[in-house]
Parts: sequence; structure tokens; C-alpha cells
Amino acid sequence: MKEEEEIEIEMVTPGEVLGKGSEVKAGKGAYLSPDNNTVFASLTGRRSLVHPSPHSPDQRPTVEVIGHKAHGPVPEPGCVVIARVTKVMARMASADIMCVGSKSVREKFSGVIRQQDVRATEIDKVDMHSSFRPGDIVKASVVQCNNANPRHVTRLYLLISLGDARAYYLSTAQNELGVVSAESMAGGTMVPVSWTEMQCPLTGQIEQRKVAKVGA
Amino acid sequence: MEYVSPEGLRLDGRRPMEMRQLRAELGAVSRADGSAVFEMGNTKVIAAVYGPREVQNRSQQMNDKALIRCEYTMANFSTGDRLRRPKGDRRSTEISLVIRQTMEACIMTHLMPRSQIDIFVQVLQADGGTRSACINAATLALADAGIPMCDLVTSCSAGYLNSTPLLDLNYVEDSAGGPDVTVGILPKLDKVTLLQMDAKLPMDIFENVMQLATEGCKAVANYIREVLLENTKQLENRRGV
Repeated sequence: MKEEEEIEIEMVTPGEVLGKGSEVKAGKGAYLSPDNNTVFASLTGRRSLVHPSPHSPDQRPTVEVIGHKAHGPVPEPGCVVIARVTKVMARMASADIMCVGSKSVREKFSGVIRQQDVRATEIDKVDMHSSFRPGDIVKASVVQCNNANPRHVTRLYLLISLGDARAYYLSTAQNELGVVSAESMAGGTMVPVSWTEMQCPLTGQIEQRKVAKVGA
Repeated sequence: MEYVSPEGLRLDGRRPMEMRQLRAELGAVSRADGSAVFEMGNTKVIAAVYGPREVQNRSQQMNDKALIRCEYTMANFSTGDRLRRPKGDRRSTEISLVIRQTMEACIMTHLMPRSQIDIFVQVLQADGGTRSACINAATLALADAGIPMCDLVTSCSAGYLNSTPLLDLNYVEDSAGGPDVTVGILPKLDKVTLLQMDAKLPMDIFENVMQLATEGCKAVANYIREVLLENTKQLENRRGV
């Protein structure tokens, strides 16, 4: 009997009160209503309290609702994604986003790596075919989408088709980002040699890529 | 015609303030992200929710919130006569719009930008109150899909025949030509998201009828909450938590 009561208290449905805004913070699956400063649940699931770290200035515990349906993640600006390159063109490369962070997506998202986002130095002299090839697995980070990027506006030659304004813009302009795995023309999985070269183990041939630095 | 007998019984034996029997089932469509079957008496409705997923029509994509699409259809066999209904007929379009606006008010769309959520509702058996049953089924399906909502949306209809406010009209009472008030509320937040009426009512009687419909909505909300909690408990048992 008592167990049932405890379960009733812990399991919540959308719209149920989880606490006052002055006592708890709203975490995942909960939201704070501005009118009456109350935290309500937005999912069906188990209620859990996360205690704050002792260093944080706000000592309120965070209340979360853990739902039972696991959603496919959605790329957010700033997160690191793993994508497979599908097309390489003169000024950009298209890629299909397969994983966001460490979770794989339910449905693939389209991403675009523009010439100026391939690396941080000498961005005008980037040759897309020496950086990526179709079929490469790259690690990239999501840039702010659409026309929020002022550099994009000043470069007139980059006002390309309208389809690009709606894809996720990906950037590999960091040492840890870039090609993670690639197949050589002979078919073997290549080994990174430097940040611009990868070598095929079967033939010894060196191919050019923008390689990601593997963690030390 | 007499819709309320002198003893106070309606045509199907209910009291004026009595709702029809409710029944709900989650997860009927296994391929959908969330689905539900909802029955109010003889009215049977199935809802399936797909999403959040990438927007298929790029021109409609919104950068700060999710796109909600809703489609309401009636099966050919749902009414007494087997009618082949055209897909875009006026009543279906209107009810699709109504359901979409009602659900949009409670789904937290700002948490899922550049994505779309599809709600498909089909009436399997129509016996009055299909609009309300569809909204209730859509709420259950959205909750089953784990889409964040600020509250459950429940809906119920009420009418006024033979000088009596009647709760949850069935088809015969609905076709009587009296007023039919459909109310959709957010029960815990106590807010109204849908209010429709056909025909005319004097203001004081309207208040009574709307109050009755709101109470019906709260009863539906309690039932929906029980169903959701029961379903979650079963899922947890299967996972071995």
C-alpha cells in the first residue's frame, strides 16, 4: 500500500505541480510558469530531484521529469556532430548528420560545410577536394544557422542557392574537428599522418584530407 | 421530440449531467512515435503522432519553434451510411484547423526549433462529440510520444435541450438542432484553449452550459491522467525498474 502511495507521488503527468519557483529550479521535462511562479511538469514520467553543487550561488535543487520515450537528439548550435560527407563541390561539401554528441539520430539531418568553415587559417585558399571526399566520416560542430553569420553576408560570391540557407552549417575549423575516418581509393581504411594527410595501409598512398586531431 | 423524459432520463438512459463511458488505449500504432485510441461512448477515434522530425517542406520551416501539422479524417465506415468523403472537404479542414490550434497552445514548441510534429486523427465510429474525442486522443498520443506539453488538453461538449443543460451529446441529441458548446481546457492551469458554439443561447444559460462542459473536461482529464500513469507503470515494470 505504502509503495503505491510513493509511486503516485513520484510519477507525474503534464501539467502537474512539481514545486514553487522560489524553492526549486525547472530542469528537463519541467517548466516554470511566469504567472504564478510555479514549476509544472511537461512530460509523463518519474519525478526526480537533483541537488545543486555546493559551489553554485543558487542553492535550489533542480526538479526533472524522466520520460519513458527516448527521443532522437536534434543538432543544436555549438554541439559536436558526426556526419558522413555526401557531395563535395567547389565551395562547399554536403554531409548527412548521423550522431549528435554520443547519441545517433533517429532521422538523418542535412548539413553543409562551407569553404570558410573548413579550417581557421587561410580560409580563402581552401581546396574542398583536398579536405573532404564523399564517404568520409567527419567530426564537426554546428554553427549558428541562416544569415546570422556576418562573414557570410560580406562574401557576395557565397550567396548561393536558397537551399543552403536552410541546412545546418557545420564547421571543422578546430584541431579536434575534421575527417575521423576515410577510405582510400584502394579501399582500405586510412591512417592519419598529419593534419592534412592520411595514408592508405594497403598501398602506402598518401591522400589529402583535413584530419581531426585524435585526443592525446 | 422529447430528449429528456419527465423522470430526468435521456434517450440513452443517462442523466443530464452524466458523461458517456470513457475508454483509452496507448500505443495502438506501433510505427508512430505516439498513438492512442479514445472512446467516448460509441464515438471511437484513433490518433497518431509523428515527431519531432525534420521539416519536409523547407519553405514552412520556422527557426524558433516547431511546426505543428494536423489532419482530421473520418473513415468511410464511421457513420451510418458508408460515404466516400473527399479529402479536403470543409468540415474536415475546419476541424483539422481547430485541433491544430488547440494543440499548438499547449505544446512547448520553442523547445524543438526547425522541426515538425504531425498529428493524424481518424474517426473510426462517429456518434456525436467527435471533435472532443479527437482532441482527447491527440493529447494522449502526444503524451505517449513524450512531446513536452505545458498541460494536458481535454475537451468535452454540452448542449441545451428541453430547457436542460446536457453533458456530452450523442449524435441524435446533436442533430436535434439545439446549441452545442464544445470546450477545450488546460485542467491544471485552468485555462480555456477552445470554445465553439453553434446556434444561439442567452448569456446566463450559456454560462451554465459552459460550466457543465468544463466539469466534463476535468473528469476526462482525471481519466486521462490515470491512463497515462498506469501505462508508465507498466512500461517501467517491463523494463525491470
